[in-house]
Amino acid sequence: MLALTCPVETPLHRVPVGAKLLGLALFVLIITQLKAPALAWLAVLLVGVLHMALGVQILLFSISLLRPLLPFLLIIALWHAYTGTLAQGSTTGARMIAAVALANLITMTSRLSDIVALLERSLAIFNRTLQARRLALAIALVIRFTPVLRDKSDLLADAWRARRNTQPRWQILPPLALAAIDDAERVAEALSARGGV
Amino acid sequence: MERQLTLISLFSALIAILGLVPRIDLISGVPITAQSMGVMIAGAVLGPRRGALSVLLFLLLVALGLPLLAGGRGGLGAFASPTAGFLVGFPVAAFMTGWVVEHWRAFLLPTVFVGAAIGGIGVLYGFGIVGMAIVLNKTLLEATLLAVPFIAGDLIKAALTAFIVQSLFRARPSIIMSRVVR
Amino acid sequence: MFLFRSTTAKLGTGENVGLQLYRASYSVAGRQILSGLSLHLTEQRIGIVGRNGSGKTTLLRLLAGLISPTEGYVRVEDIDPAKNRNMLLAKLGILFQNPDHQIIFPTVEEEIAFGLRQLGQSQSEALRVARDILLKEELGHWAPRPTCELSQGQRQFLCLLSVLAMQPSTLLLDEPYAALDLPTQLRLRHRLANLPQRLITISHDPSTLMQQDRVIWIEGGSIQADGEPDEVLQAFSIEMHRIGREECLH
Repeated sequence: MLALTCPVETPLHRVPVGAKLLGLALFVLIITQLKAPALAWLAVLLVGVLHMALGVQILLFSISLLRPLLPFLLIIALWHAYTGTLAQGSTTGARMIAAVALANLITMTSRLSDIVALLERSLAIFNRTLQARRLALAIALVIRFTPVLRDKSDLLADAWRARRNTQPRWQILPPLALAAIDDAERVAEALSARGGV
Repeated sequence: MERQLTLISLFSALIAILGLVPRIDLISGVPITAQSMGVMIAGAVLGPRRGALSVLLFLLLVALGLPLLAGGRGGLGAFASPTAGFLVGFPVAAFMTGWVVEHWRAFLLPTVFVGAAIGGIGVLYGFGIVGMAIVLNKTLLEATLLAVPFIAGDLIKAALTAFIVQSLFRARPSIIMSRVVR
Repeated sequence: MFLFRSTTAKLGTGENVGLQLYRASYSVAGRQILSGLSLHLTEQRIGIVGRNGSGKTTLLRLLAGLISPTEGYVRVEDIDPAKNRNMLLAKLGILFQNPDHQIIFPTVEEEIAFGLRQLGQSQSEALRVARDILLKEELGHWAPRPTCELSQGQRQFLCLLSVLAMQPSTLLLDEPYAALDLPTQLRLRHRLANLPQRLITISHDPSTLMQQDRVIWIEGGSIQADGEPDEVLQAFSIEMHRIGREECLH
């Protein structure tokens, strides 16, 4: 469940993360300047071709990640159809698809450890190695404890449904937050016992 | 120091699961995502600075590709989508909520509600609407129209945030950092 | 190895229909957790023993209707526990393992009243009944107390009271002693022994199931043995010791 979005290894994995992020930033900058629908859709095509070069699996997966955009695409379509500015709507939609798809592709093809390493190096440049270590620890803690809290929320949901035939309501949130607070206290003690941060 | 680090991290995890658990109904029958409530709770409980850090940590993990946003979304794509403005606004909303709770010395319940309303609606929608306007290429007024239907739900969430934080305070008074009696 | 004997223990008075599973299986994400279980549970005190991962918790969740079988069927007093939850909640209660993951509300009276709302009472009625229940236990002063102030034993007792408030005819107990210290365990054991309900206790520890009328041993998702506690638990212990000596921790 708590897995990174990437399904399979690709050549793009070997490109340094910093370079990929820069490329993404440049790409987004350029497409925001495009006005003609043809150019915007060309950008979408280019992104699609890049996906294809890495494999059909990647392309299909990336398309599935675009699903949350559907309601917005619908709004755009209806809005611009109503105001008679379909060309503009087409450009907007295409830009959105291209930007989101490329951003997702970069995410998919960048290992978590590589990105964290980049962050640590960046912080080290500013002479902040201590902050870098704390950040890495914080990231690890969130990843470690999200499933733990999730299990607790499942247990509380069971405890609710064991006595009431409705979906759990907001009342299970205070005990959940308390569980988070208590876990935080315990981990803090464990960290202190091992030398602290 | 360790305690601050772990509290920040655990609240990030809390915000994460509030997006992963679609099975919580907030009011009878209406499944709203509780994730933005997590943001406001983080601000109210941890205070403006730590609350904002907690949310920033959460956003960092989303950017890293973890599917922690409501609906299992994640990755850099979320920051290029129409709702990106709301994401950027999350830490500011947490800060605002925490700031009100810290500086307004009334009873906790109304304070948190006002803080959550100002932070979780006023500030958050400000960022969100700007974001939508940019990505959807609309005027601010048009983007506002798109956002307006959700305000009622978010007002309810602000009220629930207040009840939840009050409940937390009664169980662990020392946890509301800004209300610790020195 | 497979031991199956029909039990000669005393049947429960009253609710003789009992709980039934017929060729019930449960699998998730390609993994088969329970395979083709058929059971008719009517005795007053039933134990289900198995090691971690044997499927006993899944069995409990099937009986409680928290999940539906992927094959076969489950019936509690002729009710489908997953589909007909309103009727089921009046008949079956569950006590989960850890009181900390079970108590939802901030005060004792609210926690007890929660289940009473399900039975159709209004909030004020439910609170009144909850206070009466506490008075009968000579715990009237508990009513407005915050649940987080209770000790571990008191919390477990609150969970039990909350479930019993709904007056179920059967109580499922998931490792009820696992999270408790010894005095609390003994107190709970004494309390449970005197309950008029049918009790079905799940445990990985054979010593907690010696007083049952019938014990069922679940391993790898199926029934390894079913019958008198002495025999089943002895066979179970022997097997657990054997595994403990031979298997390394994969």
